[in-house]
Amino acid sequence: MLNVDRLTIEIDGKCVVEESAFSVRPGKITSIIGESGSGKSMTIAALLTILPLGAKATGHALFNGRNLLDASKKEMDAIRKTHIFTIFQDAANSFNPSVKMERQLYTFSGGRRGDTVQQFRTKMTGLLDELELSVDILKQYPFELSGGMLQRCMIACALYVAPDLLIADEPTSSLDRVLQKEFIELLKRLNEEQGTTILLITHDLDVVVEVAHEMVVMQAGKVVETGSVATIFKQPGHPYTKRLLDSRF
Amino acid sequence: MKSRKSLAFWCVVLGLIVAMTVFAGLFSTYGPNEMDMDTIYQPPGKGHVLGTDHLGRDVFSRLLEGGKVTLTVAGVSVILSFIIGVLYGGISGYIGGAVDVIMMRFLEALITIPSLILILAFQAFMQGGMWSMALIIGVTGWLVTARIVRSEFIRLKEAEFVKMAKMFGTPMWKIIFGHLLRNSVPAIFVVTLVNFTGAVFIEVSLSFLGIGVPSAIPSWGNMLFYAQNDILIGAWWIGLFPGIMIFLTILAINFIGEVLKDPRRRRLDA
Amino acid sequence: MISKWIGKRVVMGIIVLFIVSFLSFFIMHAAPGDPATAFYGGNAQTLNAAEKERISRVFSLDRPVIVQYGAWLWETVQGNFGYSSKEGRPVSVILFERLPNTLLLFSVTMFFIIVGSIWLGTVAGMKAGSMWDKGLSTISIASSSIPPFWLGILFISFFSVKLGILPSSGTEDVGGDGGLMDKIRHLIMPAAVIILTHVGIYARFLQESIKTESNKYYVLVARANGVAKREIQKGILRNASIPYLNYIGMTIPSFFGGAVIVESLFSWAGLGQLMVKAVMTKDFPLIMGGILSIGLLVVSSLLIIDLVMYGVDPKLRKGAYSK
Repeated sequence: MLNVDRLTIEIDGKCVVEESAFSVRPGKITSIIGESGSGKSMTIAALLTILPLGAKATGHALFNGRNLLDASKKEMDAIRKTHIFTIFQDAANSFNPSVKMERQLYTFSGGRRGDTVQQFRTKMTGLLDELELSVDILKQYPFELSGGMLQRCMIACALYVAPDLLIADEPTSSLDRVLQKEFIELLKRLNEEQGTTILLITHDLDVVVEVAHEMVVMQAGKVVETGSVATIFKQPGHPYTKRLLDSRF
Repeated sequence: MKSRKSLAFWCVVLGLIVAMTVFAGLFSTYGPNEMDMDTIYQPPGKGHVLGTDHLGRDVFSRLLEGGKVTLTVAGVSVILSFIIGVLYGGISGYIGGAVDVIMMRFLEALITIPSLILILAFQAFMQGGMWSMALIIGVTGWLVTARIVRSEFIRLKEAEFVKMAKMFGTPMWKIIFGHLLRNSVPAIFVVTLVNFTGAVFIEVSLSFLGIGVPSAIPSWGNMLFYAQNDILIGAWWIGLFPGIMIFLTILAINFIGEVLKDPRRRRLDA
Repeated sequence: MISKWIGKRVVMGIIVLFIVSFLSFFIMHAAPGDPATAFYGGNAQTLNAAEKERISRVFSLDRPVIVQYGAWLWETVQGNFGYSSKEGRPVSVILFERLPNTLLLFSVTMFFIIVGSIWLGTVAGMKAGSMWDKGLSTISIASSSIPPFWLGILFISFFSVKLGILPSSGTEDVGGDGGLMDKIRHLIMPAAVIILTHVGIYARFLQESIKTESNKYYVLVARANGVAKREIQKGILRNASIPYLNYIGMTIPSFFGGAVIVESLFSWAGLGQLMVKAVMTKDFPLIMGGILSIGLLVVSSLLIIDLVMYGVDPKLRKGAYSK
């Protein structure tokens, strides 16, 4: 589904990601793991073409055969709108503080698919209920909700749009243990029930073991190892991966 | 890089203006109050570079002397407002608690009063010389300084190095001057620059209205006061040049403040 | 909820007015000189010693300042502002004659400044790195460095003296019909001077707020998820308007101060020009009345801005700041 090859990202002439290559297969949960600063989040930004000013990405990132890196603005807008959904790390700041949740959830879900507000309400109410969120939150503002609730709202949107590819960038790092566990379960369900392909970025090996089928290990801007989670855990090929695994036990 | 160049340029401009006015005697070609009834309203040209006014006085010489007065008034008032502002803000920020709340409420109330109105009230019954003018601008112009000093103090009070200093029993005055005040300098400097432009504006405005510096003393504002009538008979040069000087002075300070305010630059310096 | 909030603001405003009046009263009474002269200004010379003493007693000028202030306050809250010592007419009547002109100048200039700065600031802020973006910073600093009254002098010398197309002073032609066109012709120059020297700096503030807001996390999240550009921009503008409104509120006092000077230059018969005249003639009751009414204007404009902010900023409505 997604094939990244020789991806290099430079910020103001400094290389932050170098010649990295990995692929995401449909229906699987693929996890990119690495320490902070290893270039995980930059890679995602490059895929979504939302790199900060002064940053430049070269190489290939084929999404269903289309290279994201040289797609026109219009094409990219369409891809971001219809095929990919992205959940970010900091749920508390992912929403506009002065707009009611209903309006924002609508633009993140129903609005993307051209549903009417009425359709959106019916469907979203069901989803919120499933996620144990009260419908009242639609009438509230983001600053009145907790980080965990906001992250679940994001998941609700992901469930709503059922994207081809769900990207989750460190989605659990701002949540406490219990919420983390819940969130992981949700990702699993999304994958199993709806067959959603997921690209999960994390620094937490426990999370990887829990949900991912395949993993990509990144260190200092380079992909050092890729493969199925089971194989890598049994036989890590790269010394860094070994260290990483050792530190877990 | 670009910002450093512009900083240097505007510093030179400001330096030139200050130097020209401070050493007015060296540059001026006539005495600032030297009248010559035979050469009234002479347009700029030979003899009088920037022309003469309604009493035949040389506009260029008066411009330099007037700058000295205007900049002195502004400078003295800024020093005064700096002292009051640092004291008020420092006390409020350092002591904190109820004292801080009361002092800040009072400050908030004062800030909503147009300072020019209070100055007018002062001027109504205290019309004195240029020193009283500086005094009045100073005692009405410290509010923003106080607010900035307070917030800087509160921020720094929580800083690790200040807490350490307290733990080691450093005397209070040493903490205030050595740590708190010294580290607030960049912020205070910028607000003081802004205050300076404000003070220049107030001096020229009041003198322009005829209720500022006594009209016998040349100041940029006083020159513009007479210019009001002179322009009606077409003597444009009397009003044009003092205005340009005021404009350039304030422009230079604003651009300098702009560069210093830039957070990117501050990080480089730190 | 809202009524309680407004109530709090109004009380704050009254306290401010109280402090203003006390300070100005105290300032003017602390000035050296014989109280009757201070009170009666130039007219005091025509009075003999006995009359002076009588005035002192009647207006309790021989009492401590605080007692005098109390007496003044008591009269004032009952609506009695006293009589102008120069003109002899009731201060309230004079103030009401002047008020419409000041309100007209204030509302016209504020309207154009707000509309203009929103337009310029939005265009410059949304197009980061464009000509508009860079140009506005420089132009706004330059335009705010011009003393408004000096620009006024240049305008007069060009439009009134040289071209003779606009009147140099007054609010209407002497012996004119006092019609709308007449008023507008007189309004153009003072209004233009205030607008031109202020619009840039407000636009710049909005531009900076928009830029800050555009770099916020939620904008990135929305962009990454293909939210329509218009929708994102609407959100940015809404949030950027909160600090912008705050800035307008902060600068309102000095804005009124600046208007005093421009009114005087163009002999625009408003409260500002009245104040300057009163100061020149040391007309104490009139000065106090003028200060109070300008203070009232400032306080009520701030209240209006607060109300708008209350509508724009949900955090304010929900009391999220006090937590």
